[in-house]
Amino acid sequence: MAQQKVIHFKIRRQDGPDKPSRWEEFDVPYREKLNVISCLMEIQKNPVTSSGKKTTPVVWECNCLEEVCGACTMIINGKAKQACSALIDHLEQPIVLEPLTKFPLVRDLMVDRQIMFDNLKKVHAWIPIDGTYNLGSGPRLAEAKRQWAYELSKCMTCGCCMEACPQVNSRSKFIGPSAISQVRLFNAHPTGEMNKHERLAPLLDEGGIADCGNAQNCVRACPKEIPLTTSLADLNREINKFALDRWLRK
Amino acid sequence: MSITQKPYHFLIRRVHSLLGLVPIGLFLTFHMILNLSARGGPEMYDKVIGTMRNFPGIIVVELIVIFIPILVHAIYGAWVVYTSQSNVLDYKYARNWFYIIQRISGIYTIIFIITHVYLLRFGEASFAALQHFVSNPYGLIFYALGVLLAIFHFVNGLWAFAITWGIAIGPHSQKVLSYALGIVFVLLSAVGLTDLTAFL
Ligand code: SF4
Ligand code: SF4
Ligand code: FES
Repeated sequence: MAQQKVIHFKIRRQDGPDKPSRWEEFDVPYREKLNVISCLMEIQKNPVTSSGKKTTPVVWECNCLEEVCGACTMIINGKAKQACSALIDHLEQPIVLEPLTKFPLVRDLMVDRQIMFDNLKKVHAWIPIDGTYNLGSGPRLAEAKRQWAYELSKCMTCGCCMEACPQVNSRSKFIGPSAISQVRLFNAHPTGEMNKHERLAPLLDEGGIADCGNAQNCVRACPKEIPLTTSLADLNREINKFALDRWLRK
Repeated sequence: MSITQKPYHFLIRRVHSLLGLVPIGLFLTFHMILNLSARGGPEMYDKVIGTMRNFPGIIVVELIVIFIPILVHAIYGAWVVYTSQSNVLDYKYARNWFYIIQRISGIYTIIFIITHVYLLRFGEASFAALQHFVSNPYGLIFYALGVLLAIFHFVNGLWAFAITWGIAIGPHSQKVLSYALGIVFVLLSAVGLTDLTAFL
């Protein structure tokens, strides 16, 4: 009888934030059109390593399973991407899975990306429309601009760009390109534009836009193909004017 | 809220970027072009150097236009290097390589400049002194690398400068700029290495 085809995995395991890490290998029976999440589910059903040792199920996160939530982001064969859209048939084996390194580890492949949400708060990445009375409808967005802005709005805070950015690390406070690109999105909106300064000002701080080192990895790592480096350069122009203007008016 | 904020961080980064071009980059270009005079032989070179040195108030000009800007750029640059973390082995993109080479060339250039100034500005500063230094093959390699990496650092820095100051925004303009700067790199390197061949 022909030997059954398997998918070979090498997974970095760690039981908790302060626990040591180790590698474990798994073989998952091959089926067509699997993705990394479906294989992790197979391992969960039967957590036995390729050498036959019983182990704990691998911990990971996922939610949408269609590459829009960003929860399943992990390092797959050296690069950060979404496990749900990483198709086995397109990956080289053994498939090496590791947790993202720029965020605090929770367990195995699960990390805490809270810092990205904190950064969005820092740069006021929203449009305040709450008031004590009805503000009425806002200005319209031209269709061409809406289509353009839609591209920027596709960010799912997944962290691929943070992982790829050499300026995001434990020695630097850089908030990373995604939050900065959101500033461009909200400042482009006719209502959002009214609070432009509230989003530009935090970018002048330590960890702000000036900490970008122009390695341009982010734009290539982004699964949503958001033009991050264009956002950065465009905001550079904006923020230089903003900083100079603010200083001259002091 | 934003009024109480003190954006010194932003300011020092922008000053760092600006100093790289004015005056440091411009000085580098001027310096290399002037040194072409070395091709005219020892007498001509020593004469040019002598004229520069005896310029009234040259030390003040040197301090303001050369030493202080380089010192500020180098010290803050060292901090920039410290806060980076290369991942070029996982993300092998050309720009990522440039990013790391920019940092390596910066460090190398600091070491090179210290040697270079020690040797030629406060040392004898003569044709013979440099000739002696590069007669040793290691000395020659050290010098040639110093010239090339300093030029790389300047030219690649110009690319980042165009982004930092919001001049080249889209990917197309950034790409065209990198090709144009490639030509500048070749031209400046030709000048720099021609300077050096005069001492062989
Ligand atoms: S361009 Fe800036 S934000 Fe993007 S990866 Fe490079 S340093 Fe990070
Ligand atoms: S910008 Fe792209 S890579 Fe970065 S968090 Fe958003 S979707 Fe992910
Ligand atoms: S599960 Fe949502 S992006 Fe993969």
